[in-house]
Amino acid sequence: MGERLADARARIGALQVRISDCAADADALARLARWATRYTPSVALFGEASGADGFFLDVTGAAHLLGGERELLSDLAQRLRSFGLPSCLAIAETPGTAWAVSHFARTPERIIERGAERETLSPLPVAALRLSPETALTLRRLGFKRIGDLIGKARAPFAARFEKELLIRLDRALGLAAEPLRLLAPPPAYICTRSLLEPISTEDAILTAAGRLMENLVPKLEADDTGARALRLDLYRVDGAVQRLGVRLTLPTQSPEHVTRLLRLKLERLARELEAGFGFETLSLAVTVAERIQPRQRTLATASEDAERERRFTNLLDALRQRLGAESVRHLAPVASHWPERSQASSLAPEKAMPWPDAESPRPPLLLPRPEPADVVAPIPNGPPMRLRWRGKVHTIMHAEGPERIAAEWWRSETCPPTRDYYLVENGTGHRFWLFREGIPGRGRVTPRWFVHGLFA
Amino acid sequence: MSPAVSPPDARLPHRDARRDAVVDELRRLMARVEGVPKGREGALSFGLSALDQHLPQGGLAFGTVHEISTASEADLPAAFGFLLALLARTPGSAPLLLVLASKKLARCGLPHGAGLAALGLAPSRLTLVETENAAEALWATEEAVRARAPAAVASAIGGKLDLKASQRLHYAAREAGVPLLLLRPGETESVATAATRWRIGAAPGAQDRFGLLAGWRWHANLERCRNGEPRAWMLEFDHATHRFSLAAAVADPSLARGGEAPSLRRTG
Repeated sequence: MGERLADARARIGALQVRISDCAADADALARLARWATRYTPSVALFGEASGADGFFLDVTGAAHLLGGERELLSDLAQRLRSFGLPSCLAIAETPGTAWAVSHFARTPERIIERGAERETLSPLPVAALRLSPETALTLRRLGFKRIGDLIGKARAPFAARFEKELLIRLDRALGLAAEPLRLLAPPPAYICTRSLLEPISTEDAILTAAGRLMENLVPKLEADDTGARALRLDLYRVDGAVQRLGVRLTLPTQSPEHVTRLLRLKLERLARELEAGFGFETLSLAVTVAERIQPRQRTLATASEDAERERRFTNLLDALRQRLGAESVRHLAPVASHWPERSQASSLAPEKAMPWPDAESPRPPLLLPRPEPADVVAPIPNGPPMRLRWRGKVHTIMHAEGPERIAAEWWRSETCPPTRDYYLVENGTGHRFWLFREGIPGRGRVTPRWFVHGLFA
Repeated sequence: MSPAVSPPDARLPHRDARRDAVVDELRRLMARVEGVPKGREGALSFGLSALDQHLPQGGLAFGTVHEISTASEADLPAAFGFLLALLARTPGSAPLLLVLASKKLARCGLPHGAGLAALGLAPSRLTLVETENAAEALWATEEAVRARAPAAVASAIGGKLDLKASQRLHYAAREAGVPLLLLRPGETESVATAATRWRIGAAPGAQDRFGLLAGWRWHANLERCRNGEPRAWMLEFDHATHRFSLAAAVADPSLARGGEAPSLRRTG
């Protein structure tokens, strides 16, 4: 370690050299961490200070699912071995102690009981506190070789001489201070995981299993009066890869049938990307966003027909969104702007609160996403157009209405587009266009240009 | 029917009324035979007696497929406007759904809320579904109809629509009792199961006495009508009142007969 390449080559003739790919390593570690969410949803990668070569699992309340901490540890070790990855594992009350034990302990005992942190840490070198190399070196030079040498000493001299990192790490390892972990994903409000005896790979099998998971979640959701607004189905493949399916809903739901149906549509859409490989061995369904659900009124039948129709409609929107993509289903919402391109926005839910402005002047039902340049002959520079050539066709204009002058919103940006004069024109066969002339003739040196911006019915 | 033997007398109008009743009854039976579910009868009316009386169910019947095509490619905006104006006439406040899959329509632009409102269609009532290809559009359309949630479903689908696909849409609409309007941009082949087929062309708009455009005009050619007869009208749509009317110049049938479409002569 730390040797020059030339020296190493001189000593070992058959030395093979590979350039280390840090990005790929980090990527692989992140993938492994995602895989580890099969044990617990709370997984945090080691930070820079911890060496960035592993991750923490918060197994609180998760160990009993595998029969206990010892079983969890052996299961994890065995699976990592099967991937061809050697591992150092430890379970302790604090992340600091677990890290120290996994990296430095020489004893075979890997599960540290509550309260045993002090005697476990005492014989370990100070580097086990995840200190910077300089701090560790200084401590060693001062004679503090083991963590036990630091425990119980007066704190003030340490605080004065070293970075505050030292005491914080010590306190955190001993459980005197809390250590926040940066989790991969916030732990979901509701989660249900199931490991299968045989790996599954067919769509129907996945959906059946997912439906059961949702059925398990329903009592919890009902007890809290909440429904799922967003769900995530994690599929853990036998070879360690994790496939994720996210489903977002318009309204919170508690219905396993609806969730299964949406997942089916999502699977159909992702059929190309989803690779089952040798099958999935573990499935986990998490409610990532839960929302209060209004208790359904069951007694009065008067409003139920409308409510039922509304429910069917939101279910329809959900289904369309899973299959076609969330942005394919949209509603038009008004925007308080007179600039035509900015006067509307797309919204996920129908916009009922904001009224559409009353059209005093004509607006086309079809608006081109971008105004298209057109050749226009106008007899008078600032008069109405007479002849229009657009998309290779010449139209003689029989009727023109306008202009409607629309000035750009100068308060929005430094570079303000020129003022536009809009005309509604009709040719001899009754085709109607929405044209505008950019710029005001005679003002500025730019010659006015014409554009087609919309088509009338 | 055998010709009347008795000489024409005062009872004739009475007999005509009976004859009308018989015809009405037959029409109703025909509709039942063809599978319009009972109790779901209803129609999307034009609010214009000339058209509504001509159509067998008093408008575009619910639970059936209606096809709108264009006289030429340039008439696509006109056909789209006709479709929107019809959608706006859907009774109730339940949402409306519009599936957009046609590349030809996309070339003409995207729906603009203020323009929809100008055609009498409240944009907040409309849900737009944009799909990448015709297969997805068919799926989305059928899904929307089967959900029995939107009051009406419209779909702009280009490309070939084979018999199987059109039958699926037909059965879906019949089950749900929802009117399904198909906008077929520039397609010459008709949808086999459509109850009515309209061909829309643009016409110079009506002008008020100040010379301003007072309403859109469309050549509406009813090329096919199940249990009815084809016919053509010059329709006018008023911006202010959002109502259909017959264009004054051709309200007279003798003028309409001189129209360009060959089917006009057939219908008389």
